[in-house]
Amino acid sequence: MARFQESVLHSDVPEITRMQTENRNLQHEVDSLLERVIKGDREAFMHLTQLYQKKIFQLAYSYFHNKEDALDIVQETFLRLYQKAHMFRPGNNFQSWLLSLSKNICIDYYRKHRKKDNEFRRDEDIEGTSHSSPDFSHHDPSSDLKDVFSRCLEKLSEKQRMIFVMKHYNQLHYREIAQVLDIAQGTVKSLHFKAVRNLRTLMSPYLGRMG
Amino acid sequence: MKNCKKTYRNLVAFLYGELGEREKKNVEDHLKTCRVCADELLRLKEVYDAADSLNPDIANALAAVDWVNLPAHIADGIFNEESGRVRQKSRSGLWPFLFQPRFRLAYAGLLLGIIVGAFLTFLVFRTPSFQVAEDGRIIAPQGFYEMMELEMARRDTIDYLDKSEYLLLDFVQSSPEKSFEFWQSDSASKRAADLLSKKKYIDNQLDKVKLAKAKAICDQIQLLFFELTQISEDLSSEDMRKIQRFIEERQLLLKIKLVRKELQKSEV
Repeated sequence: MARFQESVLHSDVPEITRMQTENRNLQHEVDSLLERVIKGDREAFMHLTQLYQKKIFQLAYSYFHNKEDALDIVQETFLRLYQKAHMFRPGNNFQSWLLSLSKNICIDYYRKHRKKDNEFRRDEDIEGTSHSSPDFSHHDPSSDLKDVFSRCLEKLSEKQRMIFVMKHYNQLHYREIAQVLDIAQGTVKSLHFKAVRNLRTLMSPYLGRMG
Repeated sequence: MKNCKKTYRNLVAFLYGELGEREKKNVEDHLKTCRVCADELLRLKEVYDAADSLNPDIANALAAVDWVNLPAHIADGIFNEESGRVRQKSRSGLWPFLFQPRFRLAYAGLLLGIIVGAFLTFLVFRTPSFQVAEDGRIIAPQGFYEMMELEMARRDTIDYLDKSEYLLLDFVQSSPEKSFEFWQSDSASKRAADLLSKKKYIDNQLDKVKLAKAKAICDQIQLLFFELTQISEDLSSEDMRKIQRFIEERQLLLKIKLVRKELQKSEV
């Protein structure tokens, strides 16, 4: 709610104009840095990394909840950036393009590394609890909300999870998410709605007695 | 209640501040009057808050990373020649360079040039077709006449070789004693004379179309026929046998067959 109210409060015209100017300046800077990166300029590459490393890390960490995995993703994303810098069309939204690279890497990484862990975990679940929704009844309610939430988040489909993470943790607008995922804005809105609704269904047994 | 379904679909976007002014106002108005949707919003807000429970972890993880040195670390991995993974994979080699988007216009121009060039080449070098002159005569292209000459030379030569082969075969199969009579007979001498006169005619054609192999064998045959018709009356049986043996040893008939076969294959 707070973020929503903030966005309403900040929607005055001079503020929007200032942000648009800043965005344009950043875009110019990024375009010139990219040109240098294509020529193999190490300094430009480091500068570009400095600008976007936290955003990529935040996306990856929200997706994996693991610092080492997130750092691997950051590294791989900038490696991919270096390899594909010539494919970026100047004037397009660089952040969306970079997040799109990162999103693909996250999904590949998840399929490669994390699915095995999940299969192992699922085998454990089968022995004891139902796996339609995580059972944390034996846990301490005050400390386990984030664990419950993490596991519920992992139960979402890839796309719903990615959209939720981008919206909630990276605070991207639907328009930006649509650019990153290369889908319609309406689809993003619909998938985000489904993601939140599914999370609510998965978490419904715990929401009343936690926190 | 009639707006519940629409509002329900917009609740998440409302919660995240993604609605336009008008839609936001509609949802707010509806929530004031609809208890069900207001409760639903609260439940969704619980999910929102639960999601926020991960924020401290994210903040801690962000704080635990050495952001100052990370770019250098990543750059080392990429730019270091010892690891050199990137340079080898992506930047070395001609293909990545050639397929840069900035060359798109140049490639499009090149492609267009190739297409136009190919079309013009086709127009210039295409086989000219028959044309009808004003007086109704049909004018054939130059290439057509050349092809006709070659084809006529080929057919005449095949005919010449056919007839020569039969005549030589008759001569070889006749006994040496009767060879003199054979060549003095009207039939053989007429056939030989015909062939000699035909040879004069095809000489011109063979010279023009450069059928060297065929011309060589035709020359040999011509010489043989010439001698046999002119001097046969002075030759003994022994001489005739020698000539017959000569024809067999030189495999003249076989050579005629081979040349004829070649000519038949190379039909224009």
